[in-house]
Amino acid sequence: MKDVYILSVETSCDETSIAIVKNGEDVIALTILTQMDTHANFGGVIPEIASRMHTENITMVLEETLNKAHMEVKDMDAIAVTYAPGLLGSLLVGVEFAKVLSYVYDKPLIKVNHLIGHIYANKINNKMKFPCLALIISGGHTELIKMKDDYDFELLGETQDDAIGEAFDKVARVLGLKYPGGPNIEKLALEGQNTYKLPKMVNDNSYNFSYSGLKSAVINLVNKEKNKGLEINKADLACSFQTAAVDELTRKLEIALKETNIKDVIIAGGVSANKYLREEIAKICHKYKAKLNLPDFIYCTDNAAMIGAAAYPLYLKKEFADLDLNACSNADIVENS
Amino acid sequence: MVLFIDTHLTDIVIILYQDGQILKKKIINNEKENSKLLMPLIKKILKKKEPDSIVVVNGPGSFTGVRLGVTNAKTLAYTLKIPIRTITSLECLAVCTNVPEKIVAFSDKNGYYIGIFDENYKLIGNYEYLSNDEFTEYCAKYEVITNVKLDYKKIIAYALEKEVVNPHEVNPIYVKQLDVEK
Repeated sequence: MKDVYILSVETSCDETSIAIVKNGEDVIALTILTQMDTHANFGGVIPEIASRMHTENITMVLEETLNKAHMEVKDMDAIAVTYAPGLLGSLLVGVEFAKVLSYVYDKPLIKVNHLIGHIYANKINNKMKFPCLALIISGGHTELIKMKDDYDFELLGETQDDAIGEAFDKVARVLGLKYPGGPNIEKLALEGQNTYKLPKMVNDNSYNFSYSGLKSAVINLVNKEKNKGLEINKADLACSFQTAAVDELTRKLEIALKETNIKDVIIAGGVSANKYLREEIAKICHKYKAKLNLPDFIYCTDNAAMIGAAAYPLYLKKEFADLDLNACSNADIVENS
Repeated sequence: MVLFIDTHLTDIVIILYQDGQILKKKIINNEKENSKLLMPLIKKILKKKEPDSIVVVNGPGSFTGVRLGVTNAKTLAYTLKIPIRTITSLECLAVCTNVPEKIVAFSDKNGYYIGIFDENYKLIGNYEYLSNDEFTEYCAKYEVITNVKLDYKKIIAYALEKEVVNPHEVNPIYVKQLDVEK
């Protein structure tokens, strides 16, 4: 069969990224321009500034990607783009850009859900096997999904309130850590011990998660100690929080492994870059003789290569979008199956 | 053939222009759908013909609106390898005003964008954004022209005299400050 080259575009948050992916699994070229330093000045991503920077940089990111691959847009078989979920203004830039490429070069346009992109990051370099359990953990999502085949998603459980990444960011702020909060908690936790007693959250047999209670418990603890005039041990608290937050995931994953007897697990989303989390999930998988597939670090955070990987099954099914494609800030994974 | 794109407010204005004449003009007003409609509209109006150059209105105006037109136009220019020029929304007004020195302004929901121009339509100073109250005060002191009838032939002819911009460097101007920048 002829090789399929997809040029993919990702602008859902604060990374402008374009990739060329062959057959949904070989990354020919990938460029990621992060705006992290800019947003760090404001303590978080400012949506309007993120959108502005996408427009400023997007044609240059294209040029760099094509140069790396020694290819041209006309060599592509399709143009793929993240259309949802994410920051609306940011998504709109990528969608408009991709539509122009699709129009000028007369290539099919493929719309990709960002979260499905995170799942398909696992297709790059190592094979995703079905059936599998997928744990989506990011700043906006905490979901446990069962996949029987390509684009066949069954939602087992999801967060009832905050997403895990959101909890990391909020706790980081309470501890006075800089943006990005998650990686900074992880760093600080290495210097601490799990000494603070924090509540277990959804302590039942459902697959659902909850993080607002844990976040509130940390905030209350910090305030209480402050009122008593006591110094909080930030490293210990970071470690205790991270332990409790990851425990919430592993308990639910364990129930799913037991009940479904599925032997392949993938984790996806920005929080999957957390090393402690990877180790703990690996332990649970080992216990149930399940294989844990992890994307390489570079494909854990937002990138266009995963969008190209996720677009490939849609290309094979000829599920193409029209030039009136719109961006959308919200979208579930399950409606895509 | 010149392709003119203006999405700086609630309308989409797409014009084909050649040798001083407007060949085709399409204006649609459906703000909520503009991001869906722009590319299909350009495709429809071009009918598989390639423009020789592009003129895009790069703001100020609606942030999302300006970004839509500019992102489309710079990507078109870059991929088609054709020259692109920008004209600001306030230059468009100034060009259509037959007064030697003038202050032109237009409003969005919360205030007014204003610009002061000399007889050659060169901007004097910087663009400004005034709240509705500030604008009322301003009008008490200066004569401000707000009711301009747009003449797209004049606007495009003026824009074509401007310098070509590298597509990578075609960017919106926003003028209005963000809260986080204050």
